[in-house]
Amino acid sequence: MLLREMSFQEKRAWISLATMGLIYGRYFWSLTMQGGRGPFGSLLATVVQLVILQVVLFTLAAIFNPRDAQAKKDERERLIDLKATRVAYAGLSAGIICAYIFAGFPAPIVVRFDANSLLFVLVTAEMLRNVCQIVQYRRGVYA
Amino acid sequence: MIRNEIRRLRFEHGEMTQQALAERIGMTRQTINAIEQGKYSPSLEAAFKIASVFGQPLEAVFHYAAE
Repeated sequence: MLLREMSFQEKRAWISLATMGLIYGRYFWSLTMQGGRGPFGSLLATVVQLVILQVVLFTLAAIFNPRDAQAKKDERERLIDLKATRVAYAGLSAGIICAYIFAGFPAPIVVRFDANSLLFVLVTAEMLRNVCQIVQYRRGVYA
Repeated sequence: MIRNEIRRLRFEHGEMTQQALAERIGMTRQTINAIEQGKYSPSLEAAFKIASVFGQPLEAVFHYAAE
């Protein structure tokens, strides 16, 4: 019932949030367990898993409601996208500054200034964007 | 807050569905639902399109209500 109420764009946001949380959550957890270093292959495998999972779920969502899937984004969906992207950009900027500031300190993996910390910031910003989209789809979008 | 009479007008126009209205103005059904529930105020262009579907002036479909 709830799924039928959702537009295709909202379903995309849910799928993106869930898959990124699951796949990257597992990647960063295993990285933390390995002391912050992992082979490049594990990152590659993570990205491939994410792409495959998202393609499968997006395709399933489109199959169950092809009319919604083919519809172009309307003005409300574009506005939600813009607002969510603005929030995510602020989060991304703050995350990068934090990663840079904490570069010199002995800190947990997530704030160490290296490629993985930047990836963590990027993933978090994207998930923040998805959360903002979902909140606006559920609670309404106001000027 | 912008209130509207879309739900009543749909009913008076042969129980037009949200989907049918959405298709006529190039929006999604969920956006029409959000407008009806006051969760989204449409652009001026979209408001004019909705009013023209019902053959009504804009002020007969949308009203501003101070909260």
